[in-house]
Amino acid sequence: MKKNNNNYISIKESRKIIKYNIKQMRYYESLKKKKLDVKDYTSVMHDENNIIEIENLKTCFFTDNGTVMSVNGVSFDIPKNKIVGVVGESGCGKSVTSLSIMQLVQAPQGQVIEGEIRFNSDELGQNEEGQKLGYNIAKMPTAQMYKIRGQDITMIFQEPMTSLNPVFTIGYQLDEVSFVHTPHISKEDAKAHSIDMLNKVGISMPEHVYKSYPHELSGGMRQRVMIAMALAGNPKLIIADEPTTALDVTIQAQILELLKDLQKKQGCSIMLITHDLGVIAEMADYVVVMYAGKVIEKGTASEIFHHPLHPYTIGLQKSKPLITSSTNEPLYSIPGQVPNPINLPPNCYFKNRCNKCFAKCDGEYPEEIKITDTHYVSCYLYKEAGGDNDATK
Amino acid sequence: MMQPNNDENKYILEVKNLKKYFPIEKNFFGKPTRYLRAVDDVSFNLEKGKTIGIVGESGCGKTTLGRTILKLYDVDGGQIFFDGEDITNLKKGQMRKYRTDMQLIFQDPYSSLPPRMTVGNIIAEAVKVHKIVPKEEISDYIKDIMDKCGLQPQYYDRYPHEFSGGQRQRICIARALAVNPKLVICDEPVSALDVSIQAQIINLLKELQNKLGLTYVFISHDLSVVKYITDDILVMYLGNVMELGKTEEIFANPLHPYTKALFSAVPVPNPDVKMQRIILKGDIPSPANPPKGCKFHTRCSECMKVCQFKEPVYYEATPDHFVSCHLYNPEIMNNLAQYDAEYDEIKRQEELKEQIEMEKKMRKKHEQEKK
Repeated sequence: MKKNNNNYISIKESRKIIKYNIKQMRYYESLKKKKLDVKDYTSVMHDENNIIEIENLKTCFFTDNGTVMSVNGVSFDIPKNKIVGVVGESGCGKSVTSLSIMQLVQAPQGQVIEGEIRFNSDELGQNEEGQKLGYNIAKMPTAQMYKIRGQDITMIFQEPMTSLNPVFTIGYQLDEVSFVHTPHISKEDAKAHSIDMLNKVGISMPEHVYKSYPHELSGGMRQRVMIAMALAGNPKLIIADEPTTALDVTIQAQILELLKDLQKKQGCSIMLITHDLGVIAEMADYVVVMYAGKVIEKGTASEIFHHPLHPYTIGLQKSKPLITSSTNEPLYSIPGQVPNPINLPPNCYFKNRCNKCFAKCDGEYPEEIKITDTHYVSCYLYKEAGGDNDATK
Repeated sequence: MMQPNNDENKYILEVKNLKKYFPIEKNFFGKPTRYLRAVDDVSFNLEKGKTIGIVGESGCGKTTLGRTILKLYDVDGGQIFFDGEDITNLKKGQMRKYRTDMQLIFQDPYSSLPPRMTVGNIIAEAVKVHKIVPKEEISDYIKDIMDKCGLQPQYYDRYPHEFSGGQRQRICIARALAVNPKLVICDEPVSALDVSIQAQIINLLKELQNKLGLTYVFISHDLSVVKYITDDILVMYLGNVMELGKTEEIFANPLHPYTKALFSAVPVPNPDVKMQRIILKGDIPSPANPPKGCKFHTRCSECMKVCQFKEPVYYEATPDHFVSCHLYNPEIMNNLAQYDAEYDEIKRQEELKEQIEMEKKMRKKHEQEKK
């Protein structure tokens, strides 16, 4: 009985896994140490108006229980000056996607093994054919990444308390950004810049906050400081990883308003990661729905919310009680649980929980089917409906 | 005030002017000199088989209220009636009788289950202590309860770490229900779970209520969940009750400015709906040092002069809809001019005091300079 259970592995198997992991990790780490020419990590952008293009990204973790494919072939674009929302349950790989963009995946266990993340940088011009070039972050050496991380791409984390250093003042930590990214900046200029940033995020007494330590501030204030820090480098893309989950509703409204406001003023893109569909509806222009490491549906906000196609997206929207409606009927709930990420089934990952499952679902994992120019869904239900024409091209 | 004994059958829980103060500063002899008023003057009644929702931001005393009702904290003032009997001043041993009637479901299913006990033992522990069923029948009884909560009987010998969050929350619910409680206090039972799992747990809680006739005190900060599951709502802010009434009534017609702001801040999953947001300025003041007068006046958009020095009292605006705000109290609204004058005088006196102190300081400085 227990042998068939996926939760248990024998010592023999365990040793095998560990051996395999060491081999793999060494291989990927050695790839990183290779000296690379600029040509090796640049590639052609598909669209000039995208700031980030992710194509077939695969990030996995070599754990003692087996290889976990956290991100399993994810592709989506982040256009310039737009907010892209990424929704999904915990463990679906939304955070790992964002960490892959920042090259912050916990190494050596976590490795980007396949795919491209193209970042549209102004530094690179065009190639001979007039196509825009971009950095491929998946292959970029760490030394090069330092220039982009924190300057062009910044991140706001979920827990402001754990991501601010408790032993340094807010001012010190804010100035650091200027010192790293602007060479030869004087202390006074850095301070002026930091205070300017604190002003921008709506902190009423910036001079006072500049001198205080993180523990002296409230949760909302800390998150504002984090946003100030993210803005300090004049970024092109801000990755906000559950920026309001740890905050109260009223503070959440403040922070969301602020983010929206700043995005318009600064003209940057935001990749907003959250599990709250309400926040996404409020903020995002485009929505990416993830499940078990795959993108199952993506499209504009109105497409996803008004014409959801994938049974999971539909279920997710139905299972949340609405504040605007009043019914006494039982809530729709998606039965079962997310599959174990180590032993993913060969067919559609959602098959066991799906209420519209039919014979075709036993086949391989469904490909992405184009419904409109912006709306893609990977489900067999829509294969005949209109996807076939595009597939033949 | 109604006598509790007359309504013995109607209300399972009556809370009257409940107070819980935590000492935060002590003097030389160990006597507390300053208090944190976690729960200050909270009253409500709860009918059998109904659900009351306690809503508020973090640090407003929701959890403390729940635990004080269970008498896990000593009561500092007010009374609690459970099933018509006063349990306010009962001692630990005397409380035992009531323990099986009141149960608690915690927020975090990851830390509230002992990792070294099997699921069967976790659920059976209280059953054994209170001798609810004979020893021989325990395992059948537990399996029956597990079945009710949507757990398969073969999970009996497994450990909590083998389960996902939703399953663990089911174990917590099964543990609470094993002793046949009448009242269950749910302290944010779904906020640690994913959306699709949340729906499962909410449905389970509702189903069990219909089947077993349970009464819930549902503590949560998620207003959409609260709206779905509750019959009454109690809105708290810094230990005080801001508004109390029927759920439908409060959502249709929120009176208190805080309730309005709270409701408007909830994001709606529809990109076309652009709600008229009331965005509150600033943060919640520290509960150790709350503002004078109405505790909400520092963030209120409709703050008047009265609010800054006079604490509002409960006022029944419409039947069964209580609100503690000066705006709805005709006695205050009709005499606004008088209260404004009072406020001005208080301010003047404060200014005078400040002036006197300033003069004193100046004098001292002069004296020092002369020396």
